[in-house]
Amino acid sequence: MHPLDFAIVAGYLVLITFVGVRLSGRVKNAKDFFLAGKSLAWWVIGLSIIGTNIGANSYVGAAGNAFNIGIAQANFEWIGAIPAMIIAALVFIPLYWKAGVYSIPEYLGLRYNPAVRVTAAVITSVVTVFAIGVALWAIALTLQTYLGWPIWVGIIVTGTVVGAYSIAGGLAAVAFTDTLQVCIMFIGGLVIVGLGISETGGFMSFAETLTRDNPNHLQAYLPADHDSFPWPGVLLGLGLVLSPAYWCAGQAILQRTLGAKTQWDASAGMMFAAFGKMFIPLLVVFPGLLALVMKAEIDYPDMALPWVIKNVLPPGISGLMFIAIIAALQSTIDSGVNSVSLMITRDIRHVVLKNPNPDNDLKIGRYLTLILLLLAMCTAPLVSQMGGIFTFIQTILSLFQGPMLALLLLGAFTRRATPTAGLWTLISGVVVSALMLFSGMNMLYVAFCSFIYGMVVLWVLSGFTAAHPNPDLSKLTYSPWRRS
Amino acid sequence: MDFSTLPVAWANYLSIVGFLILAALVWLIPKKVIFTEAPDASRWRDMRLWASVLIIMQLMLYTLFD
Repeated sequence: MHPLDFAIVAGYLVLITFVGVRLSGRVKNAKDFFLAGKSLAWWVIGLSIIGTNIGANSYVGAAGNAFNIGIAQANFEWIGAIPAMIIAALVFIPLYWKAGVYSIPEYLGLRYNPAVRVTAAVITSVVTVFAIGVALWAIALTLQTYLGWPIWVGIIVTGTVVGAYSIAGGLAAVAFTDTLQVCIMFIGGLVIVGLGISETGGFMSFAETLTRDNPNHLQAYLPADHDSFPWPGVLLGLGLVLSPAYWCAGQAILQRTLGAKTQWDASAGMMFAAFGKMFIPLLVVFPGLLALVMKAEIDYPDMALPWVIKNVLPPGISGLMFIAIIAALQSTIDSGVNSVSLMITRDIRHVVLKNPNPDNDLKIGRYLTLILLLLAMCTAPLVSQMGGIFTFIQTILSLFQGPMLALLLLGAFTRRATPTAGLWTLISGVVVSALMLFSGMNMLYVAFCSFIYGMVVLWVLSGFTAAHPNPDLSKLTYSPWRRS
Repeated sequence: MDFSTLPVAWANYLSIVGFLILAALVWLIPKKVIFTEAPDASRWRDMRLWASVLIIMQLMLYTLFD
C-alpha cells in the first residue's frame, strides 16, 4: 500500500472513531441510543439513508452486475427506488409519526397484534443479520483484493471498528458517520468517473467502445426472456413489491426518519435521499461499465470495482476510493446492528417478557449490538458459497417482502384487515415464497406472486376473523382527507 | 401467463405512464399533511414540488435509455 493511501485510511479510521466517541456522551437513555434523541435534521437523515442503502447490495455487487448487464442495473436505483421513496416520504413516514412508534414492527403490532409484531421483528432481524454478514464478506473481499489481507482478518478488523462507534454512540453516531461516509463515497465515485473517462480517451470514446462491443449495455431494460432480470419481473417484482417493501417498511432505512427533529424533517430527509439515489448509478454502475470497456481480466463480476480501484486510480485517490467502499459497507453494518438491536430489545423482548423494565433497554441494546456483530462475523464466510452478493441479498428479500407489503398496505389504507388474518398471512406468505423460490421461479416473480397471495389471503381471511379490538383506527390508517 | 415474448420497448412506455400517474397522485395529497411540523410554509418546503422534480428527471432518464 502506498504511504499516502495508508495515511488516508488511518486518518479516516481515527475520524470515525472520534465522531463515535464524541457522540457517545449524548446517549443517556434508550431513546437517545435508538432514535438519536429525536434530534436529526433532514439533510443528515437523507445522507444517512443513502449510506445505509448503498452497501454490499449496491456497491461491489452492483458494479459486478453492471459489468454483466450494463445500465439496466441502474433500475435498482431508479424505478426500483425513486417512486417508493416518494411514497414513503409523503404517505408512510407521516403515518408512522402519527402512530408514535419506534419501529415498523411496532406499527404492525399496533395495527394487528403483538404476535404480528414479534413475527415481523424476528423475520426482519434474521434477514438483516444475513445482510450484515454479506456486507462484512464484501469488505473482507475488498481488503483481500487491495491489501492482500486474509478474509478472516478483514472481518475481525471491520467488526471491531464498527462495533466501537455503534455501541458507544447509537443511532446518532451511526447517522453522522453515515453522513461522512456518503460524502467520501460521492467524492471517490466522481473521481473514478473523471479519471475513468479520461483513461479511456474521453466520454465519446468511452460510449463508442461500450456501444460497439456491448450494444445492449445502454438499454434501461433487458428482454422479457432474460434469465435474471426480465423487464416484466423488474416492473412487477422490483417496482411494485420489493422496492415499496424496502423503502416503506425497511426498519434499518426508516429508523433514522423516526429519529428526526420533526415530521417534516423526516419526510424531507427521505425525499433528499431520493435526489441522491438518482446519481448513485454514477458511483455503482459506472465502475462496472468502465471495467468492461477497459477489458478487465477478472475471475468473477464482483471483482470489477476492486479492479478499477487498483488499475485506474493513482495513489492517494485509490486510498480515498478504498475508504469509500469500506465506508459504504460499514454504514450498512452499523445501521443493521442498530436496527436489529432495537427490534430485539423492544419488539421482541417487550412482548415476550410481559413487564420488562424499560430502564434496561439501553444496556440491553448495547450488549445486543455486540452480540449481533459477532454473529454476523460468523455468518460472513458462508456468503462466499451463495453466489453473487447482490443476487443473494435480493433473493433473501424476495422471501418475505411480498407478504409484509400486503400487511402494510391493507393495514394502512383499509380498516378491514384483522389481527388474526394478518398473522396467518405473514407466516403462510413466507412459506409460500420459499416454496416458489425452491421450485426455480425467478426471485422477482416470487416477490410479485407472494404479494398478490398476501393481498388476497389477508382480504379473504379478514372477512371471517374478529375485527381489531379498537374500532378507532384513525391513528393507524392513512386518511389525510378526513376532517380532524 | 407467458411474459417472455413481450417487446422490451413496452417496459419504457409502462415506466413513463407509471411516473405520470404518480405525479398526479402526489398533488392529491393535502397541503396540511405536507407542512406538518414544518418550521414555516415557504414554497421550497413543499415536498410535492421535490417529488415533481424527481419524477421529471426519471422521465428524462427512461426516455434517454430506451
